[in-house]
Amino acid sequence: MSLETLLLYFFAAGALLGGLLMLVARHPMRVAIALIGSMLSLAGIYAVLGVHVVAVFQVLIYVGAVMVFMVYVIMLLDARDPAFLERYGRVLVPGAIIGVLLAAVLGYAVTRGAAQTGAAAAGGDDRAFLVQPFSAEFLQQYWLHFELTSVLLVAAVVAAIAVIKGGRRNDG
Amino acid sequence: MDRTQLLLALSVALFAIGLTGVMIRRNALVMLMCMELMLNGVILSLVTFSEQTATLSGAVLVFLIFVVAAAEIAIAIPIVLLLARQRRTLDVGAYGDLKG
Amino acid sequence: MNLLTLIVVLPLAGFLLNGLLGPRFGRPFVTAVGCGLPILAFLATVRAFLQLQAGGGDDPLIQTAYTWATVGDFKFDIAFYFDRLSAVMALIVTGVGSLIHVYSTGYMKDDPSYARYFAYLNLFLFFMLLLVLGRSLLVCFVGWEGVGLASYLLIGFWFEDPAKAAAGKKAFITNRVGDAGFLLGMFLIYRTLGTLDMDGINAAFAGPVLPAVSASLIGVLLFIGATGKSAQIPLHVWLPDAMAGPTPVSALIHAATMVTAGVYLIARLHGLYEHAPEASQLIAVVGVATAFFAATIAIVQTDIKKVLAYSTISQLGFMFLALGVGAYGVAVFHLYTHAFFKACLFLGAGSVIHALGGEQDIRNMGGLAKRIPVTFATFAVATAAIAGLPPLAGFFSKDEILWFAFASESGGSPLLWLVASGTALMTAFYMFRLLWLTFLTPSRMSHEVEHHVHESPLSMTGVLVVLAVLSAVGGFVSIPHFLEHLLPLPGVHHELEHYETPLIVLSVVLALAGLAAAFLIYGKGLARGEALAARFPRLHKLLSGKYYVDELYENLLGKPLNWISERVFLGLGDRFLIDGSLNGMASLAQRAAGRLSRVETGNLQFYVLLAVLGVIACLAWIWRNG
Repeated sequence: MSLETLLLYFFAAGALLGGLLMLVARHPMRVAIALIGSMLSLAGIYAVLGVHVVAVFQVLIYVGAVMVFMVYVIMLLDARDPAFLERYGRVLVPGAIIGVLLAAVLGYAVTRGAAQTGAAAAGGDDRAFLVQPFSAEFLQQYWLHFELTSVLLVAAVVAAIAVIKGGRRNDG
Repeated sequence: MDRTQLLLALSVALFAIGLTGVMIRRNALVMLMCMELMLNGVILSLVTFSEQTATLSGAVLVFLIFVVAAAEIAIAIPIVLLLARQRRTLDVGAYGDLKG
Repeated sequence: MNLLTLIVVLPLAGFLLNGLLGPRFGRPFVTAVGCGLPILAFLATVRAFLQLQAGGGDDPLIQTAYTWATVGDFKFDIAFYFDRLSAVMALIVTGVGSLIHVYSTGYMKDDPSYARYFAYLNLFLFFMLLLVLGRSLLVCFVGWEGVGLASYLLIGFWFEDPAKAAAGKKAFITNRVGDAGFLLGMFLIYRTLGTLDMDGINAAFAGPVLPAVSASLIGVLLFIGATGKSAQIPLHVWLPDAMAGPTPVSALIHAATMVTAGVYLIARLHGLYEHAPEASQLIAVVGVATAFFAATIAIVQTDIKKVLAYSTISQLGFMFLALGVGAYGVAVFHLYTHAFFKACLFLGAGSVIHALGGEQDIRNMGGLAKRIPVTFATFAVATAAIAGLPPLAGFFSKDEILWFAFASESGGSPLLWLVASGTALMTAFYMFRLLWLTFLTPSRMSHEVEHHVHESPLSMTGVLVVLAVLSAVGGFVSIPHFLEHLLPLPGVHHELEHYETPLIVLSVVLALAGLAAAFLIYGKGLARGEALAARFPRLHKLLSGKYYVDELYENLLGKPLNWISERVFLGLGDRFLIDGSLNGMASLAQRAAGRLSRVETGNLQFYVLLAVLGVIACLAWIWRNG
């Protein structure tokens, strides 16, 4: 077993563990930490695969911005909120069963499908996913998409201000 | 089990776990976090296929998904907070306006 | 338009004119139309009769008015058939009918619904002429039902009184029961013979090969119809109640014409009945039983019109007796004389009621002979006629019936003769009782009534005189001989032939005996009669109660039907099944909606769960079906 495969298994286990911890942790902060762990494991997987760009962006954007925001918000909230004490809603048992069922169904599809398609075509340029080549390609071929995302971000900023301002007005 | 199958299985598992979490957890913020987990599972499968066929567009799509995810969380959290402030609790059982 | 159609259509025109325009144009118009058109119809009938006689009298006039329907190979025509029998019937209907119309102008003078009365009366004439002149049983049936309708309308003429309206209903419903038999007979005839024309039916039975159908069965079915229309047992119950209508109506419909429709039907289909011995026997027995039964009731009646009503039932029984023993022409003869004297009696009773300002109970009458002499004289002549005193009309016709009842080869027997003679005795008795108590005994009237007694106007007394004269001399026209080619008289047993003269003498003796008995018991007033009644209280009660037939029908049929209607059809069928199922469906929809709305819990996570469930199902489905 090569190092690569070993690392892959290791990080996969980490991601899975993080996900499961999310389900059973009581305090939301612990849930956030579990999620961060899961995300970091995923970043590790991307790195092992050689998709460096995505791995970096995963850590920078997802962990660094999104989850940090989440953590701040959790810290600001009242710990005596009943939602912090009670973990599960009313559809616990049916939800769990359905979840398992979904996993089984999708997993079956995955294993069956993979056997049919067989090994994918390997090859191609491995170095294409490193940061420099990727960004060169990105900003040459996909610059329009990039600009449009900036539009999206502006919209998000406006929306955030509108939500906060409007909420504040309602609140008196 | 080869690499692709493993990663896809992991992707499916993360998605299912996230969905289960959305269904069973009571805290609104925890529900949001589970949705992020679902999104991560999907990104993983996207990356797997992209790396497999060595097409760049997969990674580009992943990048764009990051942007959208960030924008989404920036809006979602304030909304949840405002809702929580109105109902004075984060418990989703209290948000029963759709009843009947 | 041909002559026969004209005869039928004239009264119909009268009905339409008076019915639609009568109230607008006033009394003179109504009188002119209402009396004039029937008189014209009578004249047209006379013309047709002369035409018939000019051709030798044996060839019937057949004229078609209209083709009613053509169904495949079958053609139903409205055609009219005029032979000697139709001539006799039509002359009676239009002649006596016109007389009664004239009488009504006086009797109904003060009634507010004058126009409606004449409209209905003309309508009746129209239907009766359809019945009598129709060639096909179908046209006859239309007339049959139509006279039932007219009878209902006229009996319940003063419908504001619920009792009178109920009497009209009773008449119509009882008729309908009989009509079921008529219809079944018609269906059977059509199916086996393929024709409903009366001459065709007679011809089918006259040939050497008889049709493959039980003539007796058809005969019995048609007789059931006749029972309803002509008030024989057991469907006689409507006739006494029908006296609730105006008296001229009782005279026309329930004495002279409508009730004789049954007799006409059977006489017309003599060809069938000649080959139906069982049916004929039944007819004879029912006829004589009805005659006897009705006469016993008439003895104790105290309403002047009810006595005459039961007398009518009794005389109709005589006619059916004659039909039953094969003497069809004799039955028609009695029909003819009965029309005269019974109409005279009823109209005379109407005159008495008019004179007394509405009193109908004979216990409150008496001493009227001197005060209303014309009415008295005509009433006396008619009474003598019905009792069978020679040489008045009733003597001839009744005597022939008694003779054939005794001696006919087609079913005559001494027993029938005995019962019939007993009935004749009772007839004389109760009719003279009526005469004495109404006119000749000392007055039992109250003072105000006595003051107002006056003779009726000419329109009424004139008609009475004409009818009385006809009752006196009508018997000399020998109808049976006139009709002999058409309706042959039955043969008589040879060994009984020498009884003919003794029987005639005996019947005169019985009539006189009835007269004597009536004079003895009632000559001086009510006292002796009441003492006699007190000695046989139970018999008197039975007879006064009309043998409790109405009560029997009410308990046997009326109450169970009511119970079924109310409990089964209303309670169970309508409320429980129909309403219940409708309400049940509505509440089912409501409850289902209520249960289904439980899906909308308001719980977001539950909705997610349902969505995921759906996704799984979709995926599974897709994978299963490739």
